Amino acid sequence: MKKLVSAPSLFIGAGIFLIVGLLLGFWWAPVDSSSMGFSQKIFYYHAPIAETALVAFGIAFVAAIAYLRTQDLKWDRLGYVCVRLGLLFSVMVMITGMIWGKASWGTWWAWEPRLTTFLLVCFLYVAYWVLRSVVEEEQRRATYAAVFAIIAFIDVPITFFATRFLPEGLHPVVITTGDTGMEGSMFASFFISMIGMTLLLVALIRSELLVETLKDRVADLKHSIGG
Amino acid sequence: MNRQFMAILRKDLIRELRTREMLISMILFVLLAMVIFHYAFSVKEGADLTFFTGGMLWVTFIFAMLLGLNRSFAQEKDERCLDGLLLCPVDRVTIFLAKTAGNLIFLLIIQVVAVPVFTLFFVERSYAGDILQFLAVLLLADVGICALGTLLATISMNTRSRDLLLPIIFLPLIVPVLIAATGATTLIFAEGASFGSLLARVLFLLGFDAVFLVAAYGTYDFAIGE
Repeated sequence: MKKLVSAPSLFIGAGIFLIVGLLLGFWWAPVDSSSMGFSQKIFYYHAPIAETALVAFGIAFVAAIAYLRTQDLKWDRLGYVCVRLGLLFSVMVMITGMIWGKASWGTWWAWEPRLTTFLLVCFLYVAYWVLRSVVEEEQRRATYAAVFAIIAFIDVPITFFATRFLPEGLHPVVITTGDTGMEGSMFASFFISMIGMTLLLVALIRSELLVETLKDRVADLKHSIGG
Repeated sequence: MNRQFMAILRKDLIRELRTREMLISMILFVLLAMVIFHYAFSVKEGADLTFFTGGMLWVTFIFAMLLGLNRSFAQEKDERCLDGLLLCPVDRVTIFLAKTAGNLIFLLIIQVVAVPVFTLFFVERSYAGDILQFLAVLLLADVGICALGTLLATISMNTRSRDLLLPIIFLPLIVPVLIAATGATTLIFAEGASFGSLLARVLFLLGFDAVFLVAAYGTYDFAIGE
């Protein structure tokens, strides 16, 4: 068996980047001049979490394709772990998004394209989880989960596009082509937070993979002694 | 491929037309849903429901389709018909296309009955002039619903919870179709719409159909199993 070690250095790195990003966001980057004011600070957490969630689902999508091509269960494990973490990040996106919404629009919930898309993303990947739980046979479960992960990931941008059909959303368009709409210091803080969040994702994926691999090994050992 | 496609499609149609249990329950479901919607939304005497009509229509069709999808695959599974089909030297993708076409035909039969009744019940304005646009939206949305529905029903019927799973995996994926189709239909019912004003939604539905037909084409082999 390949040695898989959890990497505390990754967690520490992630922690440093996240803390530095947040400190810079609060003390270096200026208070937003638009109507959002101070509440915009949550952006240094909210947006990196959102992008990390999408990265996690993206990895799950690639792992799903890799599984279908190779039928190697390690890809299934990776996909499963990524979806689980992606879901966790998505819930955090919803929570931070709602807090921001309450602070700057005065409402906990608005049917705004990005928030709505993340709500649907949560439903989609909870469905992935339910799907896994009702198939017993390992190979079959991995196959169905992979097919669903592919379809689900394709659906995410389509859902986002569809929700944009609705009249003008409230969500500030932060990253547009060309002008980023952010000052240099804001962008730097955001970028450092994003690196931190991505590192955190990688660290979590590694340790989760370790747990899953050990679980499988325990199951195998149990099986071999006739438990 | 063509002959195999027709053979599977014919088998599905003949089987259904002999018993008619699926079609009859779907039609009854749709008609009942309309009555229920009427009472659920008519909060006051003479309320104008025009802006709810598109939503009512598509919610009804999507739920009716769930009913039909579960039914169509339950029969295949229970009678072990699918095993026989898989033993035949038939391309899996042909099975997918034939199944999708079969479900599409059933949905269209339901709609032939349901849309006139629905119009009679809820739509106050005549949309005869926009019938072509309406049919285009109907057909495009139907293809998306049936393609995705067939793929997911194939997966769900092979699991432990079967018909309980299908709505959970199908509904979040079909939301984009619901958004586009509802918007377009409401526009047609409420004020009449040229192709120009519907263009974005029609193109969107077209794109959705294309993307998921290709995605299903690529993954159906795995979904249907050995």
